[in-house]
Order: sequence, then C-alpha cells, then structure tokens
Amino acid sequence: MLRVFLCGVGMLCFALVAHGAALPGQPAPEFALADVGGKRVSLADFRGKFVVLEWNNPSCPFVQKHYGSGNMQALQKRFTSEGVVWLTINSTAAAHAEYLKPEQQATWLKQQGAAPTTALLDPDGALGRAYGAKTTPHMFIVDPAGKLQYAGAIDDKRSANPADVKTARNYVAQAFEELRSGKSVSLAATAPYGCSVKYP
Amino acid sequence: MNPRNFLLALALALPAATMAQPVRADNAEAELVAATDAVVPGRPLAVALRIKHDPEWHTYWQVPGDSGLPTRINWKLPPGWSAGPIDWPVPKRLPVGPLMNFGYDGEVLLLSQLTPPVDLKPGGQIEFAARADFLICRDVCIPSGADLKLNLTVRDVANPSRRAAQFIATRAMVPQRATLPDADATIEDERIRVSFRPANELTRLEFFPLQEGRIEPAAPQLVRVEDGRTAVYLTAAKPVAAEFSRLKGVLVADGGPARADQGGWASEIALALAPGKVARIDAATTAGGTVRSTSITLWVALTGALVGGLILNLMPCVFPVLSLKLLSLMQHQRAEDASGVRHASMRTHGISFAFGVVLSFIMLAAVMLALRAGGTQLGWGFQLQTPWVIAGLTVLFFVIGLNLLGTFEISIGSGLTNAGAAQRLRSDRLSGSFGTGVLAVVVAAPCTAPFMGAALGYAITQSAAVALLVFAALGLGMALPYLLLTFFPSLLKWLPRPGEWMLRFKQVMAFPMFATCVWLLWVLAQQVNVNALALILAALVLIALAVWALGLAQRGTRVWRWVAIGAAGLALYAVIAATGTDAMRAGTSTIVDAKSGWQPWSPAEQQKQLAAGKPVFVDFTAAWCVTCQANKQLVLNSRVVADAFARKAVVMLRADWTNRDDAITRELARFERNGVPLYVVYDQRGQAQVLPELLTERTVLDALRRL
Repeated sequence: MLRVFLCGVGMLCFALVAHGAALPGQPAPEFALADVGGKRVSLADFRGKFVVLEWNNPSCPFVQKHYGSGNMQALQKRFTSEGVVWLTINSTAAAHAEYLKPEQQATWLKQQGAAPTTALLDPDGALGRAYGAKTTPHMFIVDPAGKLQYAGAIDDKRSANPADVKTARNYVAQAFEELRSGKSVSLAATAPYGCSVKYP
Repeated sequence: MNPRNFLLALALALPAATMAQPVRADNAEAELVAATDAVVPGRPLAVALRIKHDPEWHTYWQVPGDSGLPTRINWKLPPGWSAGPIDWPVPKRLPVGPLMNFGYDGEVLLLSQLTPPVDLKPGGQIEFAARADFLICRDVCIPSGADLKLNLTVRDVANPSRRAAQFIATRAMVPQRATLPDADATIEDERIRVSFRPANELTRLEFFPLQEGRIEPAAPQLVRVEDGRTAVYLTAAKPVAAEFSRLKGVLVADGGPARADQGGWASEIALALAPGKVARIDAATTAGGTVRSTSITLWVALTGALVGGLILNLMPCVFPVLSLKLLSLMQHQRAEDASGVRHASMRTHGISFAFGVVLSFIMLAAVMLALRAGGTQLGWGFQLQTPWVIAGLTVLFFVIGLNLLGTFEISIGSGLTNAGAAQRLRSDRLSGSFGTGVLAVVVAAPCTAPFMGAALGYAITQSAAVALLVFAALGLGMALPYLLLTFFPSLLKWLPRPGEWMLRFKQVMAFPMFATCVWLLWVLAQQVNVNALALILAALVLIALAVWALGLAQRGTRVWRWVAIGAAGLALYAVIAATGTDAMRAGTSTIVDAKSGWQPWSPAEQQKQLAAGKPVFVDFTAAWCVTCQANKQLVLNSRVVADAFARKAVVMLRADWTNRDDAITRELARFERNGVPLYVVYDQRGQAQVLPELLTERTVLDALRRL
C-alpha cells in the first residue's frame, strides 16, 4: 500500500530527473548505445572531435520543418565535412505511435538525404533524460575535451513554418563559428522549441 | 411580404449578419466572435478567436512550457482599424511524460480588442479577417490554422451577441495586473522564492511563467505559509541566465477566477529578482503548502484503485454482506446440482455481481462528477455526512437483520424440481447478484481504505474519463475475489459444505447487521439532536412491527398486511421528521474533547500556533470513519503517545469532518486528499509531515521524536 503511495512520490523525483539536464561548461554525460546499423557508439570514442547531438522524431512537424527545407541536411553536410561527429538521436518510446524501428529511422534519413555520422535510437529515454532533451529538435554541442558547449534550440524562429528557416539565426552554426575563432559561445543555452520528446 | 414571413427572414438574416461560420481546422473548430452584434462608432470592439478542441487535443498558452507553440492571430483589418494583443485566460497545466505544457483544451476564447478609426460613421457592414495559426497537439502535434472572417454592421447601438456570456466568463479568467501586497522574489542558485502577504488565506497556488526558458515548467512548485506570508518555491531553468533579473508570471490562487466564489483569483506579477537566501525545500516532505503538479500516473492510480478495491472486501462493513453473498452462491450451486444445471451459470452469476459493483462505482463517480460540475465541493464519504442517508442505511441494515433472523422472507418461490423453476430462479438470482453488488458498494463507501485517498484525490482532479476509469478499477478490485470464486468453482471446495449450519450462520449474520445499526446511530447522534435520534429509534420499532406483520401476512394472515403498511408509513414519517432541517442543527460534536488535550481545528488556530513556533499535530477525522476511530482508540489515545505529545508540548488539533465543513475540505484538498483519515505533523518551523493512514504507536513516536 505504502509502496503504491511512495511510487506516486517517486514520480515527482522522476520528473526532476528530466531537469538534471546537461549544462554548458560541464562534462557532457557519457553514453554507449547501438546505432541504427547495430554498431556500438560511445561518446568517449569521439574525444578530440566536436560532437553534435540532434534530437529527432520524423513525425514531428518541427523536425519536418528543418528537413523539408533542407536546413538540417545542410548543417549535417557542412559540419561533418569539417570533421565534426553528428549524431541524430530519436528518444521516442517503443510503445508510442510515432516509434520507428532502427531500419525505419535509417530509411527515413536516407530518403531525406540526411548526412549525420550515424543515428541512434533511445527508446527507453535514458540518453534523452541524461541530456535533458525536451523537444525535437533539441541541439547539443560537445567539444573535443568532452565538455558541453551548447544546449538549446536550433535557431531563433520558434515556428513550424519551413519558410522561417531563411530568416532565422542558427544558434548551432553561430556557436561553431565562435568556437572555431577561439571565442567562447555567447549564447551557450537557449530555450529549445518543438514537439515534446515522446518519453515512455 | 406578409409580416410573418418578414420576421422569419429577419430571424434568419440576423445571425448570418452578426456571426461568422466556424471553420473546421485540424482537430478543432475555429471562429472569430464578437461580444456585441454590431460595431458602435467610437467604441472598441471586443472580439475573440474561439477554438473548440476535439476531445484530447489542446493548443498552447502565450508561453507553451517545455514544448509547443503559442497560438497567433494575424489581423487583416479595414483601414484605420487597429488590434490589441491577445488577452489570454488562465491556462491549464498539461503534463506530457516528464515534461509540462501550458495550454487549453475544450473550448477557449482568446480575447482581443479592435479599435475603430475615429471617423467611423454608422451604416454599412465591416468585414474583419484574421489568420489564426496554432499548434494543436494530443500525443502528436499538428501545425494548424484557419482563415477567419467576421461581418458586423455599424450602428449607433449594439446588443450583446449570443457569445456575450462567454466573453464575460473568459474576461474573468484573464489574470489581473493588480500588484500583490508586499510581494518579493529571491533567487539562490536555481531556487526561487516568491512571497507576498495574501489578503485572504490561501490553500492552493500555482505559478505560470510568462518568460520562455527561465522557469523549469515541470518542476514541482511548493507552497508554504511563512509568518503570515505565502511563499511559492520555483525552480529556475539551468543554466540560470545572468540577465534573469526580473520574474514575470501569473499566480493562480485557489483554483483561479473560475472559483472566485471560493476566493480564487489570478494575478499577473513582475518582480525584481533579488539574490538572497532561499531554503532548500524537499519535494518528498510536503512543506506546509501543497505539492502541486501531482505526477501520479494513470497506471499507478488505477493499480492503487484496484488494490484499494480488493482491500474493501476485508472492511468490517463489507464483509457481512459479502459473506451473505457467498452463502447464496453456495445455495445456488446446490440448487444447480439438484436440478442438473451446469456450472457455467456460476460465471454469469459472478459477472453479474461484478457488473453490479463496477456499475455502482461508475454511477458514484458520475454523481460525484455531476456534483463537482455543479460547483459542490464533494469528497469520499460525504454520503455519510447527510443525516437522511445515515438514517436510511440504519433502517436498511435493521430490516436486513430482521430478515436474516427469519421474521419475514424475501420470497422468490420454492419449486426447485422442474427446469422451468430452476430457470426462473437463475434469472432472479442473477438480478439478485447484481443487487448484492450494488449493496456492497453502498456499504463500502464509508470505509475509505488506507492510501486510497491519493487515488481518489487524483481522480477528482482529473478529466471525467480518468475519474470514471479509476472508479471502475476500484469496483473491479472489489469484485475480483468473487469473480475468481465463480470462475474457479473448485476453490469453493475449500468452503464448508452446506447444511443445517447455514441457517444458524444466516441468523448469526443478523448480529453484525444490528451492530452496524448501532454504529450508524452513533454517527447519526453526532449530526442530529436527541429528539431526532429518539424519532429514529421509534421508527426502528415501527419498522420491526411492520416487518413482523409482513411476516404474518406472508404466512397467510392477509389482514396483517395493512398493519405492515400502516407501520411502515409511520416509520417513514418519523425518519423524515427526524432528519428534517430543524433536527439537523446538531449540537456540539463529541469528538473534540477539551479534557483530553485536543482542541478543535481551524485554519486560524493552526496559523496562530504555527506562528508561535509550536509543533502542531492535526487529526483529520470523522465519526463515520472506522480507520480514524481505530487509530484514535489504539494509537492517539494510548498512554505512550499521549505522554509523548505532552512531553513535546505538541498542540493537538482535531478537524472533525463528520458533518460537511468547507474549511476542512479545502485543507484536505491542500494535501490532495478528499477523504479522512489524514494525520499531519508540523514542526516548529511549520514544515509539514504527513503520517500514514494506518497509524502505529511507532510511526507517531518517530514523527514526534524528530521535532
């Protein structure tokens, strides 16, 4: 009986877990997950490189905004060609209607002409919670030392309208430009926008 | 055109001229509406975007929370016209897994004001157009929108439109920009404390941030009373921005303006955020105020309700009824054996019982929802706060007791030998099973099982569908043992064989019934005066006479039937007289006894004692609550506990909920309960700790030791 009640209180603590977000300036939470091809991917493998984490859900209109306009693919191509590791992560719960199997996620990315280094599925939401990913898209930049440099929105136009991409200020690109020129990121944390991550 | 046709044409033309047709968007209906049926030169026009969401779908507030987008209106107005911003009514908290959104479901009006050009003259029509864009979500999201139009004539005088009442109601829901008396906001790390001196005592407070990304939307908000001030603790989004020096948001108190009759309000605040000390408030221990943002998920609530239902079977006021049912079940089986009926019908029997239980719970929930909708504050066990319900139950139990003793029979025929009779018996018994199910629920209601309070509190704050589900689960839990027995009749082997003892057993069962009568009368005695109680007892004597006469009539002496009817009529009159409004004016409750050191609870008294820095123990109880009485006799009144209370100089307050008491109902709601018992210990600093509903000396002593 008491357990049932405590479980209710436990849910409060659970809610707090999502706020145990990764903070810019602090070490990025480590992880090791199989990618859509079944290969094991761990953050530690990419020490010495910049890593971008992009929270993704193909069914989300905000994700569609950035893929439909070609914005996300362009960012992926531009930064991976500069040696950046780009991980596209889908934390949709397996029980959710929008869940995609690894091969479905891979097929969708291929259809979109996406060019991430690889894509990861996180159906139990552990990785998403560790980073405090709230929306799709929600963007993170990890520096070569494993420190988080940026967490937040992809750009400053909080809409689902693809036409807004052209006039938007892209926070990820801006952060990279500042990092490349040896400056610190001026906007290291922004409020993300999009669909909620479909956590279990 | 004859006058009649003209009027008809006018009636058809008027709405068309003043109202636009709603537009069907994705999963919602959108429409531009005005508060008046015409534009009046020189007067601003109150308009609104009306969105009627399909069930389960929602759109967002001006700050959507962790995800989502606010609804936008782009006006396309005739030259010279200008539009004001959206006046947003108070939103709802919409949890999505670990995330939190703010928005609207059902029907909402997003208010705005259109200002006409100064040279506007009466005559002619004006068309207002607007593009509404909104993100509409369930568990999935769809960006949607609608191109809307509204045509109005320009006249010297305007009448209220058919939406006028909705405008007034929505206007009341828009937070006021009044400054709160003596308000301040302090931040330390990510901890924020907003405090003010409320004009009236508050029981609930919610904060909705008006800044994006500054306040963590899903973080629990804790409210406590500190030296006559009300403080709400918020969590800033990390990393806390250096430029976060001003806190803007909406405070919604006591259910908001929708509950204005109960002191609810909403206020927009903008406060300088001063660095300073902010206490760490632990979410797990309720801090004097309410732990908002309950996150008990539906599954936990349903499981809790199911287990709660199972436990109801063991409650002293249910067990006799269920034992009776078991008895009839065995007779049924014996009858079937005798008439060669297959055991499959046992299952229908069990299912019928389960249906009776579950349907009764759903009915109870439906009634509760209806009353809630009517604005009545209603809690579990409230039935027993109404004297006529208790009097009725007393009579019912008394009659059942007499029936068990064999004074009269509830006869359904005696022929068991032919198949036709067996058929009839079976159908009768099926409805009998249903009836027993219903009765079991009526009887179970007062025995709010421990911990069920949380699930019920959850249900009453949820949508109707969820509340009904939780109650259905409660019913299913209660019916489950029965269902099991009927589906696996082999388990019945473990029950004793039928025989002569069954009659004795049936008669013995009469005494728990009479004992229940005594208990009910004791409860009733707390609610009505001595004269009324005497009337009830007289009614019982008349009932006994009626029932005895009925028994004689059943045995063939027809004339006794008239005695039975006469006595029953008199008894009914006595009950009505006894529970009438005059008699209901109860004397002082006997539960609070000054000699024992317990004092009556009131919000003011609790406040006073806490302000004086004294530890306080509050016992939320009711005469009809068996668990409360057991806790009181076995634990609270025990020598060790009484000594510990005295040694720690604990102020002992007793909140007696035997009769309806809105202050207690609100206090219970503050702890997200709507039933008793509830035990709360406040330490010298006013920190509250809730004790389990089943007390032991140890739990109480441990809680006191920490003071």
